[in-house]
Amino acid sequence: MTVAPERPASLVGARVRRVNDPRLLRGEGRYVDDVHVAGMVHATIVRSPIAHGVLRTFDASACGALLALGPDEIAAATRPLQCVWLAEGQRQTEVLLGDRRVRYVGQPVGVVVALSRAAAEDAAELIELDYDELPTVADQEQALRDGAPLLQPEWGTNVAADFRVGDDAETVEAAMARAARVVERRLVIPRIVPSPMETRGVVASWDANLRELTVWSSTQTPHHVRDHLATSLRLSADQVRVIAPDLGGGFGSKEHLYPDEVMVSLASMRLGRPVKWIEDRVEHFTATMHARDAVHYARLGMDEDGRFVAIASDVIGNLGAHPSNVGTGPFRISGSMLPGPYRFSSAGVRVRGVLTNTTPTGAYRGFGMQEAAWVRERLVDEAARELGVDPVELRLMNMVREDELPHTTPTLQDYDSGDYVEGLSMLRDMVSKREVPSDANPRIRRGVGYGSQVEFTGLGPSPVQKIVGFHLGGFETGVVRVDPDGSVVVSSGVMGMGQGIETTLAQIAADKLGVPLEKVRVTLGDTKVAPYSASGSIASRSMTVGGGAVTRASIALSDKMRRIAAHQMEADAGDVELVDGVFRVKGVPSTGVAFGDVAASTWLGWDLPPGEEAGLEVKDMHEPANISYSYSSHAAAVAVDLDTGKVHIEGYWVTHDSGTVINPMIVDGQVMGGVAQGIGIALYEKMTYGEAAQPTTTSFLDYLVPLSGDVPDLVIGHTEHPAPHIPGGMKGAGEGGTIPAPATVANAVAAAVPEIAGKVLETPLSPGRMWELLHEAGLHDRL
Amino acid sequence: MTIDDTVTGVDLCEVTVIVNGQLRRARTEVRTLLSDFLRHDLGLTGTHVGCEHGACGACTVLVDGTAVRACLMLAVQVDGGEVTTVEGITPDEGLSPLQDAMWAEHGLQCGFCTPGILCSVEGAARAGENVGERLDDLLGGHICRCTGYQNVRAAVRLYCAGGQEAGR
Ligand code: FES
Ligand code: FES
Repeated sequence: MTVAPERPASLVGARVRRVNDPRLLRGEGRYVDDVHVAGMVHATIVRSPIAHGVLRTFDASACGALLALGPDEIAAATRPLQCVWLAEGQRQTEVLLGDRRVRYVGQPVGVVVALSRAAAEDAAELIELDYDELPTVADQEQALRDGAPLLQPEWGTNVAADFRVGDDAETVEAAMARAARVVERRLVIPRIVPSPMETRGVVASWDANLRELTVWSSTQTPHHVRDHLATSLRLSADQVRVIAPDLGGGFGSKEHLYPDEVMVSLASMRLGRPVKWIEDRVEHFTATMHARDAVHYARLGMDEDGRFVAIASDVIGNLGAHPSNVGTGPFRISGSMLPGPYRFSSAGVRVRGVLTNTTPTGAYRGFGMQEAAWVRERLVDEAARELGVDPVELRLMNMVREDELPHTTPTLQDYDSGDYVEGLSMLRDMVSKREVPSDANPRIRRGVGYGSQVEFTGLGPSPVQKIVGFHLGGFETGVVRVDPDGSVVVSSGVMGMGQGIETTLAQIAADKLGVPLEKVRVTLGDTKVAPYSASGSIASRSMTVGGGAVTRASIALSDKMRRIAAHQMEADAGDVELVDGVFRVKGVPSTGVAFGDVAASTWLGWDLPPGEEAGLEVKDMHEPANISYSYSSHAAAVAVDLDTGKVHIEGYWVTHDSGTVINPMIVDGQVMGGVAQGIGIALYEKMTYGEAAQPTTTSFLDYLVPLSGDVPDLVIGHTEHPAPHIPGGMKGAGEGGTIPAPATVANAVAAAVPEIAGKVLETPLSPGRMWELLHEAGLHDRL
Repeated sequence: MTIDDTVTGVDLCEVTVIVNGQLRRARTEVRTLLSDFLRHDLGLTGTHVGCEHGACGACTVLVDGTAVRACLMLAVQVDGGEVTTVEGITPDEGLSPLQDAMWAEHGLQCGFCTPGILCSVEGAARAGENVGERLDDLLGGHICRCTGYQNVRAAVRLYCAGGQEAGR
């Protein structure tokens, strides 16, 4: 069920089918592994099998490959990769390629090329590698202890950055001291592997004649990859063209340049042949950025009546072996968004980013906000339990009201628009209509839990990026062109990765220009064609920032065509309307000049009003004035089997507000997919390391993601409070499904089994972990 | 075995198989997986590879009418047999009823898992099974990381409903 506002017939807000789907359904998608270039050969990456040590020997002399590059050749030929999000005082800001010091299992140390992938893998097996091993540490709290193995011994610590977000410690402590009650917990968000169904991959083709490198890469950020690739390979940006073909999902894990892409490109330059590298799934589990992995020592302070006063956390974040491109960014955003939808007089967070012998952690759907929601929403439910009040009432009482917006949080977020109370109230009504299962098995416990969040979307004003040390421009450019035959081409620097942006941008252009959807072609993902985009498709920004640009460009182009048509009909532009592809003077149906004729004459430069330029192409650069704050509330009904520990989700409800909805079907799809990933985090997903920091979950058989039977049909209700500062009013919709879902499911579990509520502090609530908690609580003594 | 053996072809073999109704013959390495054979030797890139360890179902194709994971079979095992891939369940123009239902219900996002799901469901339908009743079973073998499955289930239900109207 979807509760959506009524709207007059318009392509904006219409549930239209996605334009790309027929191709994908017919098996005609073109993903990076489907790219074939004549003369192409295949690479495999040589990776460290140990978590900490020094590579003494890399001897490829007997491997028989077409090419094998070891660490020294790679280091000599490349510049280090630059981290893009730098915390104040961050001790490491770049990552050496071809480093002989290895710090995690999976660290690339070489590249091997042969006629087939299998042959390259065989050749890699024949390379002689010899390491001096060093002691390891995988856990960030252990890495903080005295005497822990040091990843960068010259620092004398594993802490790469230590900073605060929001109020200073003194202000927070003063506020906590005034609180009548403080709920304090250690809350853990384990390590997650984003796991798009398509692994990463690249085809690099060096043209020695033109001195140009063309790279097909499965990436969310083609321009970012181009810029960093050019820098690393000592080429100029104009020599590098990056093409992102169809993407089999990204979810944040494909939002920057990896060492692999540089090494494969280098191999192509050395060989003068196109080289393909496709990551395999087991490799993906150590070679692609992980995410989350934070420990929060968190406190929620409130007065006698349960009014929130202060929220604080000491965040110990696991960066992995080196800061990723975003480094401490997710931990910082956990701090920025910790207040959520509630009023606080004080909020402050200390963040420590700690190096360990694990795969670096980076971006993943929910970026820091899923962690913040886990911490805050669990604390709120724990507070309600201690106070003996209804958790929904406690939330409603503390939510920032509509008439209090805009609202600046103590963590300096300027919430724009919305009605958080409306969303949660609507959700409660939806849940109240559910049918409660009637089976009376006393060994099954049932409960309902809630979670609410406000989400930072549409990254973001470039000046704000500068303030937080994120070296990415936050603007987007949209180019809309009406060609001489009346067909429409939209290009943008954002990327399609399954979220349907090709369709929604087409809907906007078609709506504003007054043409059928089929007339619009959206071209994305090729740096030679697309306008520059520093950030690409990350941070739920494609529609908000990119769509804002396309909205304005389409309106400007439509206005221009109207002016020209008016001139040609000797009428006033204000009197002209477009009906069924013909510009007419309102009320004079006999007049008319066809849309296509206006396009044709404008490209000829004929019959234009004085001062009007020929051509029909508008480029709009959209620098948003603020972040856009989407929000959602979730509820889950669970059944907990006391004997097996299995948590079954019997019902799931969502109210969601992402401003103006361009295509409700697509937004619902984003919510559904997001919730499914949140359910995965809640119940199944956890990347683990064992002895000597060896990864122990490196296949889909031991890293479990949800299957169809694990995810119920959601009931989704929409409200729409447009972003006041975004052309078109859109806010981001990609992550609000994931962010509160783990906390919501956990709150339901805690409600179902109050005996363990105080122990529900860490995901996943897998059957094994649940069984332990139930057992410790004495729930296995049958009476 | 050395690297030279694998590239000079001492372990090559010939596989003859009917793929999507056409007799295809190709020389390939004995160790070639069916998924790689289809994709790289025959150029049928609609079959996708998500894990190569039998867990995700992206590589599902029909072998002699039965849905199998092409990453868990060698190409030589289908010698003399019959294979149907997503290309083989796609009409020359437009979409099959199942594909159209997936389109209508937004049953795909990135589309990477989709060919495998189509093969499983189509295979069961062609075998005369009651797809609607076996839905959980059929989808249980597929990981989709994008859709949360809800719209995939809706699409299969729509397909089943349409099928009943059409007297299937
Ligand atoms: S690729 Fe065959 S099951 Fe995943
Ligand atoms: S649609 Fe992307 S994995 Fe299923």
